[in-house]
Amino acid sequence: MVSTADEPSMVLIARHDLKMSAGKLAVQCSHAAVSCTLNARKTHARLVERWKNAGARKICLRVDDLASLQRLAGQAQAAGLVTYIVKDAGHTEVPPGTVTVLGIGPAPRRAIDALVSELKPY
Amino acid sequence: MSFRSFLHRITAPDPSGKPLEGPCKMVCVVNQGLKMGKGKIAAQVGHGAVMATMKSGAEKPMNLEQWLATGQKKVCLKGRDAEHLLDLEKQAKSAGILTTLVHDAGHTQIPSGSLTVLALGPERDVILEEITGELKLL
Repeated sequence: MVSTADEPSMVLIARHDLKMSAGKLAVQCSHAAVSCTLNARKTHARLVERWKNAGARKICLRVDDLASLQRLAGQAQAAGLVTYIVKDAGHTEVPPGTVTVLGIGPAPRRAIDALVSELKPY
Repeated sequence: MSFRSFLHRITAPDPSGKPLEGPCKMVCVVNQGLKMGKGKIAAQVGHGAVMATMKSGAEKPMNLEQWLATGQKKVCLKGRDAEHLLDLEKQAKSAGILTTLVHDAGHTQIPSGSLTVLALGPERDVILEEITGELKLL
């Protein structure tokens, strides 16, 4: 029996200041989820497998601005976690190149919680 | 070549098949009958997108490759309720489109097992639009 603290998880951290619609937010988060998964498969294949078998846990959290998002990205990278930053192509709603979402994981839940425990759900 | 990459090479799906003609995308239809918050929807669509990506890698690698190479375009649409999603799934299946249903584990907000999202594709725009052309953007 594995404790929940060891189960892999993924977090999608979105910028609340952009006031994206539900559909926009969903699309940006799924960019992050797909890209994180594909990148992680190259480097952390067994972790990705465990994550998928345990239901591919994902949660969506919010930050208030770009600076907070970039700070978290730096911390996650320093901790050796898989990260992906989504820059929007800007077809709709936001200007091209706007950073919208940071994906972290799949990674052990403890490692993720250590970074994002302060954040609110989106 | 390492043993693992050798194994991978001989067991990987054959990348033969025609490349897609024209633009392609993935469509996620969200069950609007459930009262999900924005973050919840985002996570559910994320599930659908990842599952559909893995599925297409196994079943339609050409679609996946082209979709990834062209910026993995995704669109989120509104579906009325679970029946509507299942009906669209049936139509998409008979049109040869890859379909993925997401059922929620029900940790938050909605009852366990609810059908939350139908993901279609990655597939050519024109084929998808025959099924989803009438639906509104989320």
